[in-house]
Amino acid sequence: MKVSLSTAASPGAALDALGVACQGRGLNGIELVLEPGDDLEATAERVRASGVQLVALRVEQLEPSKINPLARLSGALSVPLSVPHDRTGGTSLPELAQRFKDAGGSLLYGVGTDLAQVLSAKAELLKAENPASIGLAWEIRPGSEALSEASAVLLALREHLRLVRLYGGGPEQREQDGRGIGPLFVDLAISGYGGSVVLTPSTPEELPRWGAWLASRKSAGCGSGHPPLGEHELDIRDVEPRDRLSMILGAFGALPRGATLRITLDHDPSCMYYALEESQPQGSFAFRKIGDGPQVWNAEVTKV
Amino acid sequence: MAEIDLDVRVIPPGEKHPAIFRAFDALSAGEAFTLINDHDPFPLRRQFEAMRAGQFEWTYTEKGPVVWRVRIAKNKS
Repeated sequence: MKVSLSTAASPGAALDALGVACQGRGLNGIELVLEPGDDLEATAERVRASGVQLVALRVEQLEPSKINPLARLSGALSVPLSVPHDRTGGTSLPELAQRFKDAGGSLLYGVGTDLAQVLSAKAELLKAENPASIGLAWEIRPGSEALSEASAVLLALREHLRLVRLYGGGPEQREQDGRGIGPLFVDLAISGYGGSVVLTPSTPEELPRWGAWLASRKSAGCGSGHPPLGEHELDIRDVEPRDRLSMILGAFGALPRGATLRITLDHDPSCMYYALEESQPQGSFAFRKIGDGPQVWNAEVTKV
Repeated sequence: MAEIDLDVRVIPPGEKHPAIFRAFDALSAGEAFTLINDHDPFPLRRQFEAMRAGQFEWTYTEKGPVVWRVRIAKNKS
């Protein structure tokens, strides 16, 4: 699977600037969200001029008058267009499939983690005669939707699955802990899914955090209200995963002999133990795990 | 069997390591998956050594600076 970013994360940003932000984050490609007023004829040129790798197009509503221009755009850029399954403006799926096929494009019906919905979309898909030009986009909303049916949904839609859209991830990752994203993505990986996972903000209220996340690789931009900490205390819950180890090893390095560093984390601290074991001389530290989540863990490291 | 790519950058912190072990445990002997992450997962390797000793092969296929990729294979018993 490839992790990509939706332009919904940074509305109004120039595509090439967003491309640079993606590179900084190691993300592969961009989903372009099209607004009702966009000049579709000029969009293909705008994308080519930006040099970004596009993975998909997106509209929140498919207006009947826009079907043909959107189909042509999808064909010209060789990327699928996704639309929520109930926002296709009344045009039947076989009709849509034919029009996208004629333009060399493809259309993806967006479905939630809802088995009944997926089965009904799948039944419609099977009525169309152009399987290459239609498929499903799985829209995963860990913040507002139970993911308990995820395994069954994956089983039902996998042969038609062309795109995954995750409402969250990025700076919202921590609040989505414990919602079942881990097992879901493991199942998705094991199913052999090799397409894109597009990250998109769960709500417009999250946009400032996405802006900060994209602008800085160092800051999670959480702005949380954790109280200031005493000496030899380290709360790394707001630190990005990639920076956590160096912060802990740095704090351990600065610790006087005999002192104890108390660490607060949002995951099992066992990996911190292994990081210390790998990087510090044998017998130079004592490690104690306190508590067992599921939201907060603590660990104490004493320099011997 | 298709290549299995598990990009753990989309998995929240508390679910990352359980997810990785879940993926490994789901492999048959001789199969592998590629772990993709935004930092060097060397502590995880230690954890594998402690919890799945002798059962895995660990091969870096990309070592940063932005993305790390490790192919984790399950040994034939």
